[in-house]
Amino acid sequence: MRVALAVVSLLVLIVGGVVVFDQFESRWQDHQAAYFHQALAQAKTDAERAALESRQPKIEQTIVTAFAGPGGETRIDRCQSCHIAVDDPRFASSKQPLATHPYSEAMGDIFRNGRWERRHKFTDFGCTVCHDGQGRGLDTADAHGEGEFWPAPMLGSTIQTGWDKEIASHLHGKEFLQANCAQCHTAKDFAGTPIVARGRELFFKTGCFGCHRIEGLSTGTLGPELTEVGKERKLDYLWGHLVNPRAYTPTSIMPQFKLSDDDKKALVIFLKSRRGSNPAESPTEAFRLNAAVTSAVPESVIPSEAMTAAAETSTPRGEKLIQQYACLSCHKLDARDGGISPDLSYEGLLHDGPWLMDHFHNPRSRVPDSNMPAFGLPENDFQAMAAYLLTRTAPPPAATPAETYKSLCARCHGDKGDGRGINAIYIDPAPRDLTKTEFMVSKPEARFLASITLGVPGTSMPAWGKALSGDQIKGVLDYVFQTYVHEPRRQLKPRKVPEQNPVPMSAASAARGEAIFLQRCTGCHGRKADGHGPNSMDISPRPRNLRNSAFIRNAPDRRLFESILYGVEGTAMPSWMDYGLAQNEVGDIVNYIRSLNEPAK
Amino acid sequence: MGAAPSTNEPAGPPAQQHGDHDTARQIPRRNFLAWLSGAGVVGSLVAGVFSTFVFMKPRVTYGQPNRFLIGHPEEFPSGARVAIDTKRVCIVREGNKVAAISTTCTHLGCIVAPSQTGFQCPCHGSQFDVDGNVTGGPAPKALAWFQVSLTPSGELEVDKDNEIQTGTYLSV
Repeated sequence: MRVALAVVSLLVLIVGGVVVFDQFESRWQDHQAAYFHQALAQAKTDAERAALESRQPKIEQTIVTAFAGPGGETRIDRCQSCHIAVDDPRFASSKQPLATHPYSEAMGDIFRNGRWERRHKFTDFGCTVCHDGQGRGLDTADAHGEGEFWPAPMLGSTIQTGWDKEIASHLHGKEFLQANCAQCHTAKDFAGTPIVARGRELFFKTGCFGCHRIEGLSTGTLGPELTEVGKERKLDYLWGHLVNPRAYTPTSIMPQFKLSDDDKKALVIFLKSRRGSNPAESPTEAFRLNAAVTSAVPESVIPSEAMTAAAETSTPRGEKLIQQYACLSCHKLDARDGGISPDLSYEGLLHDGPWLMDHFHNPRSRVPDSNMPAFGLPENDFQAMAAYLLTRTAPPPAATPAETYKSLCARCHGDKGDGRGINAIYIDPAPRDLTKTEFMVSKPEARFLASITLGVPGTSMPAWGKALSGDQIKGVLDYVFQTYVHEPRRQLKPRKVPEQNPVPMSAASAARGEAIFLQRCTGCHGRKADGHGPNSMDISPRPRNLRNSAFIRNAPDRRLFESILYGVEGTAMPSWMDYGLAQNEVGDIVNYIRSLNEPAK
Repeated sequence: MGAAPSTNEPAGPPAQQHGDHDTARQIPRRNFLAWLSGAGVVGSLVAGVFSTFVFMKPRVTYGQPNRFLIGHPEEFPSGARVAIDTKRVCIVREGNKVAAISTTCTHLGCIVAPSQTGFQCPCHGSQFDVDGNVTGGPAPKALAWFQVSLTPSGELEVDKDNEIQTGTYLSV
């Protein structure tokens, strides 16, 4: 009993002692003591020596009211509790934390009367307004923002725990601080932030502005707004998302642009600089400045030479615009290839003027699930670009079927014919997997010939009949069957399918169809019939979007009936006849689907 | 603790046995343990009370720091009397001598303004001469003078925690 009491009371004493010691002994005190000691050795006058000897370590803090902190509150920066020599030029060659903050003309410091004067005095600006980090932290990990959940780790130096190592290896360097310079120095051509300016240029050059909105810069709506992306996201996310958008958001339709590491860095720094507010200006000033920007396309995008060349005939101007508007960061044209969107080289053969203009104004009016943004460019620019594209009428070279497949089909359908070409993930509906034998052998040749010759409306498959001869198309189809389909065509039993829907179209029929649709079809095709049902993500090919009007209006009743009654081989669509759907019920469903795609009155 | 009487008896004889050999130096095991427990309890109490009292005095507050830089000496030409209201000091320079005088009125804490004759308080009319000595009004004592020093970067630093005698200048 007594032994236990003695042991416990000693333990309490030890734990208490450790806690007290831990609370009242900090590293910053050691750093300050070391500074006083070293400064004393360099002191020249007795007064200086006496002043240093009388100084005790204490928390040094700067209270900055002029530049709001992350939450809009006063910044409290205690960095100088450890970094106490930042303003002492004698410590220029010392190691951190006791090193002088470098002076540089690039930051506006002036060398005058044999010594440097700072442009941004720490008493006025503090530290975190430029460096980020946690100003109140008194412990290295806290102050530098090393913890995974601190939103603002020190730019260009602190790598948080949990960041991908490969990504983090790109995120070191003083140049990242330019993102914070640009918080106040917002001028486009500010000399101190060349990388932000480069990133801004790339934002327009690679077409980012088409999808993303940034207040005062761009008006895209297809992707998330980026006005405050620098506040919401950390460097690792920005970099990782540029490298592979689907690493963070599996359903993202953002293309994986071909960017060099330098370009990625410039874009990341530019995006990090977008925090939605300038700490040096009041909200009222900011509103006034942003309200002045109304144009959908900021002047910075419209290349000046294209503007002055408006008198030029529209065709060469259109070609120039296509180069300058970053079309080719996605599309292919001759040798240049963005590797994301369809080839424009034969556009004059494949599409006509109205199609092009409609597609420019709203790509989804022609391909409902297209990931191309409606760029909102000036009308005469669209006309010039369409005029140029319509001159692209040189037919593809009359090569062997294998070469034709490689140059025209493989971009989407893939070199192996498996529907996984370089731009396949950006195409919705996805390109047909030509190796799916079940499907390929169960459809008549005429259907394939029609799909190639006439194209498939509402999808990215163009009417190749306008660019290739009938023999060439037949040759390519034979090549596909020889190379990718290893089974002979199957002779199907004759199917009992009506040519015309026997159930007349009526509101009552569509309502009955909807009831059946909600019971039977929504698992895959979705409650909105848009092909995004809960099971759709696990199915390949994906369920058809039944609101793709261009496709549905072009599909004859016979095809819809056959697909529903007998299922589609090689896909997840079952034969609903086996699940007890009668022909008149299928007729109701077809009427319901047709009613979804009636033109708006 | 109900076991206390019973432990007394068995602990007795061994103490007596040992007592025969070396009664003066031998500390009974029971007493030793009691001492140890006592030291533990008292030690923890002392540590607890100490840390409680230390916590009562904050190590840092939300006010502006009392030691701050005010700029290079050249920014204050001879004869300048520059009041910095946000810091509540007036920088005085005469020839190559610099000093910092408080501009907080010693009466009720208003900010005094430099005037022709020295300083004047706008609240209750206290008047001070150029050195901050009271010349009129309700102020009970002279304005404080603060320590000014030259930092290694060549800037002037005022330390408001360090009051010095009226008329003590820093030579620059």
